[in-house]
Amino acid sequence: MALSPVVTTTSSSAQNQNADNFQTLRAVSSPLKALTSGSGQTSSNGTPKPALAPAPPTGQTLAPTLDLAEQMNEEEKRKYVKGKKLGEGTYAVVFLGHLRSSPATRVAIKKIKVQKEYTEGMAPDAVRELKHLQELQHPNIISLLSVFSSKDQNLNLVLEYLPLGDLEMLIRDTDNVRYGAADIKAWMGMLTRAVWFCHENFVLHRDIKPNNLLIAADGEVKLADFGLARSFADPHRHMTSNVITRWYRPPELLFGARHYSGAVDVWSVGTVFAELILRAPYMPGNNELDQIKMICESIGTPTEDNWPGVTRLPEYTVPGQHPTRGRDWYEMRFGIVGTDGVDLLMKTLSLNPQKRITAREMLQHRWWHSEPKPTRKDDLPRKDESAGEDKMGMDLKRRPGMVADEDRGAKVARKLDFGQR
Amino acid sequence: MATEDERYRQSSQFRLWSFSPTSLRELRIKTNDLAKQQIAPRFAADAQPEFLTPGEESTLVQFFTTELIRAAQFCELPTEIRSTAAVFFRRFYITNSVMTYPPTELLKTSLFFGCKAEGYYIRLAKLAEMFPNTTSEQILAGEFLLCQGIRFAFDVRHPFRALEGAILELRKRLPEEEGRVAKAHAMARDILKFSPLLTDAYFHYTPSQIMMASLLMVDQGLVEILIPAGSQTGEDGNKHMGSNAEMREKIMRTIESCRSMLEKEPPQRMKEYWETPELVKSLKPLRKKLQKCRDTDRADLVALQRARREQATTKVKKPTTTGTGTVQSDGAVFGEAMAVDARDTKRRKLEGGGDLFGPPL
Repeated sequence: MALSPVVTTTSSSAQNQNADNFQTLRAVSSPLKALTSGSGQTSSNGTPKPALAPAPPTGQTLAPTLDLAEQMNEEEKRKYVKGKKLGEGTYAVVFLGHLRSSPATRVAIKKIKVQKEYTEGMAPDAVRELKHLQELQHPNIISLLSVFSSKDQNLNLVLEYLPLGDLEMLIRDTDNVRYGAADIKAWMGMLTRAVWFCHENFVLHRDIKPNNLLIAADGEVKLADFGLARSFADPHRHMTSNVITRWYRPPELLFGARHYSGAVDVWSVGTVFAELILRAPYMPGNNELDQIKMICESIGTPTEDNWPGVTRLPEYTVPGQHPTRGRDWYEMRFGIVGTDGVDLLMKTLSLNPQKRITAREMLQHRWWHSEPKPTRKDDLPRKDESAGEDKMGMDLKRRPGMVADEDRGAKVARKLDFGQR
Repeated sequence: MATEDERYRQSSQFRLWSFSPTSLRELRIKTNDLAKQQIAPRFAADAQPEFLTPGEESTLVQFFTTELIRAAQFCELPTEIRSTAAVFFRRFYITNSVMTYPPTELLKTSLFFGCKAEGYYIRLAKLAEMFPNTTSEQILAGEFLLCQGIRFAFDVRHPFRALEGAILELRKRLPEEEGRVAKAHAMARDILKFSPLLTDAYFHYTPSQIMMASLLMVDQGLVEILIPAGSQTGEDGNKHMGSNAEMREKIMRTIESCRSMLEKEPPQRMKEYWETPELVKSLKPLRKKLQKCRDTDRADLVALQRARREQATTKVKKPTTTGTGTVQSDGAVFGEAMAVDARDTKRRKLEGGGDLFGPPL
């Protein structure tokens, strides 16, 4: 370990600290402290000293005190050791890290950059992500282990380490990765449980797609990137319809609905389901109009018959009339998951959000019990077995998913209507 | 155990911001102590100001909470957001002293950040316009400070929706007494908009307990209907009855104690903070005292924020000077408490190319 002994000394004393032991923290201040802080340096809490600071009375040292809030922050920060950089995007830098008390426990430290172009303070994505991850603890949702601020006033999110990339990598690597109906069932089960838990806690994710589904060392799939999430709105409050990456966006959002429900996430789950089967995006529209066209062709044209009220949505336009696809049509394309699987898929892709299956109903669907049984998570196909040499670098660059977005920036609808109240 | 209870215990409100009265008091004493220690050296030994006591700090925070509520009403912010902002403000001043950071500034920052946390994107400039002598920069200067102070817990659970739920339930059970229920609804809502924010209710009680306590204040009979006595619930055998009765008693005791806390600050008090001469007069000396003993270095948040930013950016550019480097690590050898300077050394070394964090794992 190239860790300096200096740091180790402080840290080992730090480990004995517990939450109500702040006094000891202060008590061990260094005798040389006054020297350093007196020599034109800033004081330990980052407070700049005024140019004409009155000299402290002799014999009395300037106590290197920190406010309680700062102490708590330091304590969180010191639990982790930051390692090498795993990836960098415009939104955040991701570092590998580990627990100071147990170096084998790895973490990902996501340092959120100050957004220069956003002049209203802390970026809304960061606020949303933090707000919801603080509250949601579930095996299929990426866990937020800690948050602290670094001295340069950046937010640092300590997230669980998910080294096996994301679901998109597995779907795309058709040359090296093989998977079947049982694997799809296992992955879908994990995704559905994650979405169910969000909805059970009154949170809409609003950006479900394969590269936001990260994979833990044991094969467990975790829903990540809550930068677009929000709590369910009260009936009178409007929401923005400009959410969810286009290919995974449901028709009601494409038509500009301002009141919507968990059904928007369920549609995304349906499109991910279809993508897992086809191993290609199901409806990759080039723009919003194209997206509507693809939905009409692949699923059917939304009309007053199959969706009462749809024509009154603010941006309702349809390219032409296509009949709603029947079961046979789905069986032909998605038959690999069996009749029950197709039934579930059709229910998630219902045009009318009110008729769409809910996450809770999805978990009660008979497909989970029909043959074949879902693969155990340890036996799920994974990227590292076939990817060889490149795997490490690739995984690390992409980890933990959120940063990877920018490669695909052009296709991603991430522009948000922050101006609206 | 009810899973709803378990779920509440996972919330940041329970994990980070719920305390027993004793530990809350201790936190406030500690905060007050630290602030005094930090401010004292800025005054000559023979001219030490009289510092605020933890109790006086609480009184002032309470007063500024009423200012915050008034400001939020003036800006026509919805109830939930106003309450979130007030809770942020109060949380901030548990681990920070009013002597250290000016409450008049943090109040506006709390309002702004409360909006953001609730997904209500009001333009910063528009908010600044609403206040006299306030720039956008001033509101923003305290934002990060506030976030750190509230330990990055942005989700606040309020009792308002709980009240709506309870009222629906009561309407179902008392279809004949619509007037009574409606009256209780309005009065309880009024209480919830004020009393829990002015007291420590959010720190000691769950949203549903606070809601029940507000109902208890307006119509005790309704609470009896919502939490029926044990004899009515013992359908599934007598074995559970004992523990049910015990649980009910515990719940009622908790709600009662929450009620007596809320009753100290009934909604009518809002006006008193501004119109009752005695109360106004009693606050005046405290505000004066605060003027004399506050941390002048940190009163100007804008300058402070600018300096911190500058410090962060210049640090990166500053070339490694071996001189300070050694002094600092010496300091650290002696067991630097906060490792802040050790971190500086670390950072400098890192810039020098050394892999301080150890080899890749």
